[in-house]
Amino acid sequence: MRHLYVHIPFCHRVCPYCSFYKHTPGNTPMAAFVDAVLAEAEMAGRDYDLKLDTVYFGGGTPTALSEVHLERLLTGLRERMDLTGVREFTCEVNPRTITDSKADMMRAQGIDRISLGIQAWDEETLRTLGRDHAPDDAEETFHTLRKAGFRSVSIDLMFSIPGQSLEAWRGTLERSISLNPNHISAYNLNYEEDTEFFERLRKGQYRVEEERDADFFYAALDQLNSAGYEHYEISNYARPGYRSIHNEAYWLGEDYIGLGPGSYSTAKDHRWQNIADTNRYIELLQSGQSAAQPGEALTAEQRRTERFGLELRTARGLPESLVKAPEQRMIRVLGEEGLLLVENGHIRLTRAGKPLVDSVAVALMGA
Amino acid sequence: MPIENTRNFSIIAHIDHGKTTLSDRLLEFTKTITVREQQDQLLDAMDLERERGITIKAHPVCMNYKGRDGKDYKLNLLDTPGHVDFSYEVSRSLAACEGALLLIDASQGVEAQTVANLNLALQQNLHVIPVINKVDLPSADIEKCKRQLEDILQLPADEAVPASAKMGIGIEDILEAIVAFCPPPKDPGDGYLRASVFDSIFDPYRGVVSYVRVISGTIIRGQKVRLMASGNDSEIKDLGTFRPKMVPCEKLEAGDVGYIIANVKTTADVKIGDTLTESRKPAPEPLPGFKEIHPLVFSGIYPVSTDDFEALKLAVGKLQINDAAFTFMAESSAALGFGFRCGFLGLLHMEIVQERLRREFNMDVISTYPSVIYDVRKTDGTELQVDNPTFLPPANEIEEIREPIVKVDIMIPNENIGDVMQMVMDKRGVVNNTETLDDRRVLLHTVLPLNEILVDFNDKLKSITRGYGSMDYEHAGTQPAELVKMDILIASEPVDAFSCIVHRSKAESRGRQLCAKLKEVIPQQLFVVAIQAAIGGKIIARESISALRKDVTAKCYGGDISRKRKLLEKQKEGKKRMKSIGRVNIPQEAFIEVLKNN
Repeated sequence: MRHLYVHIPFCHRVCPYCSFYKHTPGNTPMAAFVDAVLAEAEMAGRDYDLKLDTVYFGGGTPTALSEVHLERLLTGLRERMDLTGVREFTCEVNPRTITDSKADMMRAQGIDRISLGIQAWDEETLRTLGRDHAPDDAEETFHTLRKAGFRSVSIDLMFSIPGQSLEAWRGTLERSISLNPNHISAYNLNYEEDTEFFERLRKGQYRVEEERDADFFYAALDQLNSAGYEHYEISNYARPGYRSIHNEAYWLGEDYIGLGPGSYSTAKDHRWQNIADTNRYIELLQSGQSAAQPGEALTAEQRRTERFGLELRTARGLPESLVKAPEQRMIRVLGEEGLLLVENGHIRLTRAGKPLVDSVAVALMGA
Repeated sequence: MPIENTRNFSIIAHIDHGKTTLSDRLLEFTKTITVREQQDQLLDAMDLERERGITIKAHPVCMNYKGRDGKDYKLNLLDTPGHVDFSYEVSRSLAACEGALLLIDASQGVEAQTVANLNLALQQNLHVIPVINKVDLPSADIEKCKRQLEDILQLPADEAVPASAKMGIGIEDILEAIVAFCPPPKDPGDGYLRASVFDSIFDPYRGVVSYVRVISGTIIRGQKVRLMASGNDSEIKDLGTFRPKMVPCEKLEAGDVGYIIANVKTTADVKIGDTLTESRKPAPEPLPGFKEIHPLVFSGIYPVSTDDFEALKLAVGKLQINDAAFTFMAESSAALGFGFRCGFLGLLHMEIVQERLRREFNMDVISTYPSVIYDVRKTDGTELQVDNPTFLPPANEIEEIREPIVKVDIMIPNENIGDVMQMVMDKRGVVNNTETLDDRRVLLHTVLPLNEILVDFNDKLKSITRGYGSMDYEHAGTQPAELVKMDILIASEPVDAFSCIVHRSKAESRGRQLCAKLKEVIPQQLFVVAIQAAIGGKIIARESISALRKDVTAKCYGGDISRKRKLLEKQKEGKKRMKSIGRVNIPQEAFIEVLKNN
């Protein structure tokens, strides 16, 4: 087992588009929460042969934990797991949740990569998204992180947000580039079930416009490419040498273990989720039980389907060998239509094919 | 009972003028059925008939009636199909009668079909007794109906019996009129057995049951009989009369109407209009009027799910046993898979068969655009008949194509003449003459190509005339026409299910219409898809479906992977229900949508 994910489900304010398991800290006993995660880490150490390459603290907002709790979590983790081989240790950060000393502590505890949730650089879009930071807050946080000396700082952006103009999006890309981050993630807004945005979409207040989505996608692709960022996954761009190793592991179908309430794990063709209820999670771990919920056993065909859906998203592409003989006709057809090309035994999407990954994947599966 | 006391009669009427209700009242009045047995529309046994208020199969029934003169009479009522598709059956049923009740709705008056049915009756030399029905309705206009009888139909209005079948008014008067005016059957008295077969049904337990009218001689159990047109010999296993259920009896004599069961396998062996005679002593000549009936309208019928082909095969086979006029042959379509090219007597017949497949056999079917049969003469002198656009030879090999035409009588309110004439012309028809019926209505005698009235003609007529127009048609041979095969190409691949034979003048508009409809129903693909209508190599209409530009979800991390997979699995599953035409996947629903709306 080479990849570890830790889910910290706290946010000071819940964004109306987010579907991750999260909540405001409220009355959560933070010390008990940290203990529970550490207890789960200990369990994972017993159950799996951990040779960790990457660790990823996500949320929620990991930095919603106070410096004291976060430090205890990081120290505790190091005491229970061998992190010496870790090549990438990412922590998600939201603007206004970090101070110089907190950043220094994180750096000292081995975190070397930051994913900063900026989303947009204009106030109007930030308001639509329900973010509680102002553009200048985000910039300040970015400089704080740079000063602390993290190896890699990534910026998270979102596009095709209701009310967001293409100009505003280009402006957001420009200001991000001007900060010279090592990595940029650019996500098309997704209307996820059980979110307020989904409800507004359903009521007709918001609309999904495929053409608009495409225009925004290409704006990002072009602007980031010309600024020297490599498009290595549908929503991710990196300076050479700064791809996210942890996320690439997901896209290549590797196993990963998740700690914390609501986190997912995939190991040996099983996928499960921890109980998405922080209090229950703490109780279970306190009484020495696992927080894992019954999951699913993945068949070979299911895994193959996942590989199509994930690997086609990557710059490396999908091994051609995964396409069965009767399906190969479609490689030719889609190649002729300019959607993909085959190189070094891998099917890679072209500029036109990139935003059509799902349809291409389906077209290639099952003749 | 002496033959002088037998009356064989039929009821002819326009749809909805109350024929079936009247039949029911006659049965009640003569106590052929008790009120307890009543179920409205007793004689229309098929659900479909009851529901749509139409009669598809003949339903004879034998009633005993004591007349006001104190004599006992045997009255055979032959309830006949009321639609032009079955006009041959109607004519055979009428041939088994000596008289007919002509039913007219007191509020509607004479309709196009009334005229056509009256003509059929008069051709058979029947004595026609007019009955003005629904006189209880506030909108009834008996005087107007009488005037129409005289003016339009040249029938003596003073013989007309006012009645309301629904309210039971005038029922005895009708029975008395039958006794008084309908002539008794005549027996040629030469001792030969002659019985006319006017319908047959398949009973799963008893086999083929043939409905016969005995003209001369006697039928008894065990008798060896022959069908003169088909030459088949068989033995009478059972016989009887309709009361209204089949009740066995000892013999059927001259003048009688009843059923026989012989050892015959399918209704196809018993041709309607054939003459039944004795094998040992066959009649020297068959009864006049027999003809082979051929389907006139064709359509491909395919199972919606290709797995259902075997079930469909079984179903059409079973249907045919009971409906000799329905034909089918296996065919296959690149777009729709395996199915059958089916032949029908007309549009109603086609609709009925499709509906029966759905209802009685639970089949989910889709039908291709209906086609007529074309006579094609090739440049090399050979001739062929084409009922499927796929088999039309290339244009350069065709010398002439002839298409079937029909004489259509259209009865409409005066104010719609202009619009209806325009419609007839749009449909490539001609109006031969116009007859003024009364101060409100006219009758247009028109001739139209059959394929032009196949689909929406009646609907359009109804909508132009706000429901007041009615039509009737009869076949009138063929005429040469400039017909072409139009293909629909999707991403350059021809889709056979959408090919059709159209008149050159109609091709472009029809091509445009089809392309536009297809553009609407075919989902966007990963690339631009051209939809074209073509005659030979020439494109006459085109549309294009723009390519999808973006579909992908933004993020795909630990918890998203299962969700993503399920999404892909769902789309993969959806693909199974699609037909792939070249590089394009078309959902089955799109085919259905387009074929349905044609």
